[in-house]
Amino acid sequence: MVVNNLKLLVGGVQLRDGVTTVTDILGKMFVRAGLHVLAMEKGYASTIYGAHQYDPMVVSATPPLSYGDDRSDILVALEFDTNPDAPIQPNRDTILRHGKNLVDGGVLLYDSTTGTVDTGDLERRGVKVFPLPARQIALRELKREVVKNTVVTGALLRLLEFDMDLALFRQYLEERFGRKGKDIVELNLEAARRGRAVIEEVLRTNGWHDVGYRLVPQPTTGRAVLLNGNDALSMGAILAGCRFYAGYPITPASAILEFMEAHLPRYGGRALQGQNERESIRAAIGAALAGVRSAVGSSGPGISLKVEEFGVAGVTETPVVIIDTQRAGPSTGMPTKPEQGDLAMAVFAGHGEIPRIVLAAGTIEECYTLAFEAFDLADKYQCPVFLLSDLTLADGRRDVPEEFFLKNRRPVVRHGLLREADLRQDGYRRYQITESGISPRNVPGVPGGIFKSSGSEHDEQGMITTDPPKRKAMVEKRMRKMQTYLKEDAKPPLVFGTPDGAVLLVGWGSTRLPLLDAQARLRAEGLETCVVHFTHLWPFPTHLVRPLLQRGKDIIVVEQNYAGQLADLIQQECLLPTRRILKYNGRPFYTSDITGGVRQLLTNGTRVVRVGDRAPAVVLETVPEGD
Amino acid sequence: MSTAAVNQKLWEQNATPKHRIQWCPGCGDFGVLNALKAALARLELMPHDVLLVGGIGCSGQIRNYLNGNAFHGTHGGALAYALGAKMANPALTVIALAGDGDTLAIGIENFVHVCRRDPAVTLLIMNNGVYGLTKGQKSPTHGLGMPQGVSTEEDPPFVDPLRLALVCGASFVAQTFSGDPKHSADVLVEALRHPGFAVINDFSPCVTYNKFNTYDWYKEHVEHLPKDHDPADMQAAWRLLDEFDRKGKLPLGVVYRHPRQRTAHQRLPLWDEELADVDPEPMLRLFR
Repeated sequence: MVVNNLKLLVGGVQLRDGVTTVTDILGKMFVRAGLHVLAMEKGYASTIYGAHQYDPMVVSATPPLSYGDDRSDILVALEFDTNPDAPIQPNRDTILRHGKNLVDGGVLLYDSTTGTVDTGDLERRGVKVFPLPARQIALRELKREVVKNTVVTGALLRLLEFDMDLALFRQYLEERFGRKGKDIVELNLEAARRGRAVIEEVLRTNGWHDVGYRLVPQPTTGRAVLLNGNDALSMGAILAGCRFYAGYPITPASAILEFMEAHLPRYGGRALQGQNERESIRAAIGAALAGVRSAVGSSGPGISLKVEEFGVAGVTETPVVIIDTQRAGPSTGMPTKPEQGDLAMAVFAGHGEIPRIVLAAGTIEECYTLAFEAFDLADKYQCPVFLLSDLTLADGRRDVPEEFFLKNRRPVVRHGLLREADLRQDGYRRYQITESGISPRNVPGVPGGIFKSSGSEHDEQGMITTDPPKRKAMVEKRMRKMQTYLKEDAKPPLVFGTPDGAVLLVGWGSTRLPLLDAQARLRAEGLETCVVHFTHLWPFPTHLVRPLLQRGKDIIVVEQNYAGQLADLIQQECLLPTRRILKYNGRPFYTSDITGGVRQLLTNGTRVVRVGDRAPAVVLETVPEGD
Repeated sequence: MSTAAVNQKLWEQNATPKHRIQWCPGCGDFGVLNALKAALARLELMPHDVLLVGGIGCSGQIRNYLNGNAFHGTHGGALAYALGAKMANPALTVIALAGDGDTLAIGIENFVHVCRRDPAVTLLIMNNGVYGLTKGQKSPTHGLGMPQGVSTEEDPPFVDPLRLALVCGASFVAQTFSGDPKHSADVLVEALRHPGFAVINDFSPCVTYNKFNTYDWYKEHVEHLPKDHDPADMQAAWRLLDEFDRKGKLPLGVVYRHPRQRTAHQRLPLWDEELADVDPEPMLRLFR
């Protein structure tokens, strides 16, 4: 009997079967019971209806670091046949795709509304199969098709011997649907009971005592929430004082726009759905110009379209936070699949030289904390600040104690925003040359501080000029801000373990947890590694990074892209050779990718390993490498 | 000095000195500048409450030739910056000053949608039919008054900003001529008082590159709107434009003005104290 440690995968037809309804209800109930939930790979398609969707979820007693791999203990297939006579039964899709990854002795629960499925192969591997006519029960017995997911939920609760009296479930329903009336709550409870009865029946018929997995509530120290990176980032932005947000619909950034549209008005702010990517960022720059903390969010293809405005924000010294929830590119690439391919764009895109700051969140919690930092840095340095997230973080969910959000909240301080009393009549210079490179900033509407601001090169008053000494001084002033940043605000990468003489596993973004998981597993195998994880990527904190990386034996950069964009940055800035483990097949990094990659790199001496299914595991570099 | 003259002085402070203005001698934009200063002075607006968002090109330079906060970014972007600034602080008087190429070629994506959104922003199109700053290439309004060739490849018909603005739902549409600064100023005053998006097409001759649409040509072809025109009547506006077309004349005046009264938006919170004490509870509740 495995207690409080399992991986559950729910699959079905997108939009029709309510895959995430089931995982959302279950996840929240588990979190309420003090268990830890991690659902970091939301498998969905960029079509709306009819495609396969799946949502794996790890539930455990201690906070799980990552999945480990693509195996699951319990598989839930929500599909039913719309046409039972079809040669290929559609309700087998989830079983066909994920059944092979089900562990021996695992559990399969599937919707048998239109007939049972041949599961002989699985049963021979000891898998316990539970056919459940969920849709039929909902439609025929309860007369409400919508409760089919509750039937499944009830069945799962019984399988896991969790919340057997449905007390937690009742509480959840009352909070969620209480307003809609008592009937809804009772109907759902009845649906759950019907699901439970079917499981009881299957258990009895087969003479099974239990299914081998059980979840037991744990005492909690405080309330926790289950949320994804987009949610955490949106909440962080609002609490950090963002009051104008613009976006144009794009996966997976749209959720931020939707959140902002729903919540900003409550806090006196406004969200704008731009009519295109360029209108969005221009409006955000306009709002920032008027003094409001302002952000624009998009994903790779949308960020490409905004590139010309990076320069506008940079040279006019207008603070704007640019959120990029990366997805697989180039072009429209794979809209619903993860990749870390935009680092080079965030750091280098744009013509001329743009002062900018690039931050990247590594966890859902960091999506929240870095939002505060991004707005503060934008205000302080008056330049575009990139906040990189990626699809794995954007859509992945995890339980976080509520206390975390309250504890890590920072008060809003509008650095250097001048008020009427600070402004002397006629003496104000918007682009005053200063030692720090930061000029005093005012906003329109404040008497005494009229300013001219221009995307063309300008003098201290903001008047357009091409005078060589003025141009030189202004370029240097702007770029000096980056020096000030490196002195005052740059942060070294996070270090987990001791770097001295160790193999360094270097990463950024959503690879943090898999890297830590890999570190633990490699340690169990006798290999001590040190994980070095970047959050502040540009301006590159060379003075903090180089001495650190030099202490290690071998620098292995783990990234979800083909080239190794961070590895290139490290080589460029630190002049240190790097080795790389790269994955770009559209699935997130699994721990097994990293542990396997490290072993290959260390045993066969290659510099690059490209991992992921259906790609060559090892690519031997044909070009000779110099040291 | 009279109040108007004092106000006019206010708009000349902090600006590029007259002798350093970089327009060609005789440029129509001088007339636009004078009209703009006169209108702002007449409305007794304070320069710190005004945001002038310039476009790219000769026209966009106007923002530096008078007092007031000024900004310009990318080609075609003026209206979208103006939209964001106005949404953030509705107390600001936001004026976008852009050329015809700027508004109707690269910036048409912003133009169409800002018309629909109808923010209380004034757009002054300084229309000369050419790209002046890049030495006279044809703009989308090129060909005004010229016979159209059969081949639309070489000379497609020009874009009429008035008709486009009407179609896109602009709530104030007017036309003026920089050779008539008094009329320009009158129209600008009306536009700045309008509580929605105001589009003014201001014919501003390019003396260097547009040898066809000269001051004399305009003087021959412009005609003030009849006194009895009701700008609140959309159908009358369309009839009027057709009528002037048939006559071969260009109407000067307010062609259309939506009669609706609008409620003002709130200024977005800005200062530390306005942003303090935010309750995260409603957001956290979503994820329990």
